Amino acid sequence: MKLELLKLTVHVSAFALAALLSGCASSGVKNPSGIAVTQMRADERGFVAGTGIESQDLVAVTDKMARSILSTPEIANAAGRPVIVLDPVINETRFAVNKDIFLTRIRTELNSKAKGRVVFLARNRMPALERERDLKQSGAVTSSSDARVVEFKGADFFLTGKLQGLSTRSAKGTSDYILYSFQLIDARTSVIVWEDASEIKKQGLEDAAYR
Amino acid sequence: MKLFPRLASVALCGLLLGCATTSATKSGGGASPRDKDKVLSQYRKAAAALRAHNFEQAKTLLDDAILTISGVPAKDPEARRARGFFNEESSKVYFGEPYERVMAYFYRGVLYWMDGEPDNARACFRNGQFLDSDAQGQQFSGDYALLDYLDGLASAKLGGDGADAWQRARANAKHATPPSYDPQANVLFFLQFGYGPTKFAGGQYGETLVYRDGYSEAYSARITFAGVTHRADIFDDLTFQAHTRGGRVMDKILANKAAFKGTTDALGNASLLSGLVLTQSRDRTAREAGLGLALFGVLNKVVSGATTPRADTRSWDNLPQFLSFAALAVPPGRHNATVEFLDARGQPVARLTRSVILEVVPGRDTVVFLSDR
Repeated sequence: MKLELLKLTVHVSAFALAALLSGCASSGVKNPSGIAVTQMRADERGFVAGTGIESQDLVAVTDKMARSILSTPEIANAAGRPVIVLDPVINETRFAVNKDIFLTRIRTELNSKAKGRVVFLARNRMPALERERDLKQSGAVTSSSDARVVEFKGADFFLTGKLQGLSTRSAKGTSDYILYSFQLIDARTSVIVWEDASEIKKQGLEDAAYR
Repeated sequence: MKLFPRLASVALCGLLLGCATTSATKSGGGASPRDKDKVLSQYRKAAAALRAHNFEQAKTLLDDAILTISGVPAKDPEARRARGFFNEESSKVYFGEPYERVMAYFYRGVLYWMDGEPDNARACFRNGQFLDSDAQGQQFSGDYALLDYLDGLASAKLGGDGADAWQRARANAKHATPPSYDPQANVLFFLQFGYGPTKFAGGQYGETLVYRDGYSEAYSARITFAGVTHRADIFDDLTFQAHTRGGRVMDKILANKAAFKGTTDALGNASLLSGLVLTQSRDRTAREAGLGLALFGVLNKVVSGATTPRADTRSWDNLPQFLSFAALAVPPGRHNATVEFLDARGQPVARLTRSVILEVVPGRDTVVFLSDR
């Protein structure tokens, strides 16, 4: 009987210890050591993902558009330096986005890669620029040129775009297709001198706990 | 006699494991309570901030909440744990039921419009309607009249064609028929009435998610300025939206958990009783078998006790019952307006009347958000 009691004690102790060490210690604690900050490339898909517009899409789309614009004959073979104004992108998708970020990145890519072959106008800064001009004209501040002469440049081209989407949701998951289209419009003739598009489709299915 | 130590070991192990899972439940199944309820807290604070006209705070809170709920949570450890037998559904990170998620997007859309971004507002309204589109059965899928109406209005204002969205809004209208768009309308009144639905757990083990109806004293509103009166009717009813959400996949999982809990409990009772009877036997073998059976019963009772089929009843509890809207053409300048909330008989509820100052600027819409409470 003593032997059996001893065996029982050993069994119970072993299981209790194992359960305590494995069960109680590890369950209930999420990432006990934490997750170190991970630096990712902007064109890399992160571990926080949805089916919407993400940084890797922005980079892929704007890279393609900048390359495409530079190879357009109207830009590549222009006699002078074409002057471009950015016109806000129209968002028709189900995702609210900072629309300016697309044109900002295309502009910076063009400025960086075109090395001065195109010029952009800061039309979105017009109120501040007009105020400065008025101050100069009134003599309140100094001017390095004749303040009465209009020097604000006119645009040769307008660069604009549109984001459109098709979304589907069913028991099998969520699917989002987004078409990113951009146009370069001749400001004098309204002719669309360049147009290109990029399309991205994503789909996923959330955990059953959320369905 | 060898049976006894083995059964005892298993029972003890079960007890210990039960303890472990219970503690996991308390600690949110891995996520700290603050983490798993963060979105719920943001929803509630955002709704309160909107009522207090603290729009910047509401924007920040909603943006952060939307950042969480816009993801597709797959292979998520908290969600997996919530599906397990020994963790409550509420151990998962709270996203809210579709009617709650829709409201997060609706409110954010209102704020975008307030900021002069009707296309981003439209994106939010479209997304809200999209989130409602997985209602079980297609009958109540994407049936918010106001979201379609606003989608069309934004499109019309942006130079597009809002006719399709307007037709959908009319088809989905369950209260008053949405009026046709006024291209001159530049003041948008977003009104909300009453107290929205909340959740509670029904069924034998609380495994069924049930909605408690919301209620409202107000059923319409009357907007008066410069001696002219306009009526704002109900477009959507959140209690209806909550009820017509349809069955969830999670409901099946909870039903399975409840069945497992019931079975193990019944088996535990039967084994325990039979075992205890056998332990009274004069035969030593029968007594040993009885002890084993009793321990098996205890083990089943432990497993049953540790099984948690309770539905997640965390609710965004400061939502309204009804959503209303009116778009008016107002000349630029400063105007005083009065908004009266009318009861079901069309009589104003005096204590709910509000005065509003409209600052109408040419070239953009003025957005007014008002709640009756």
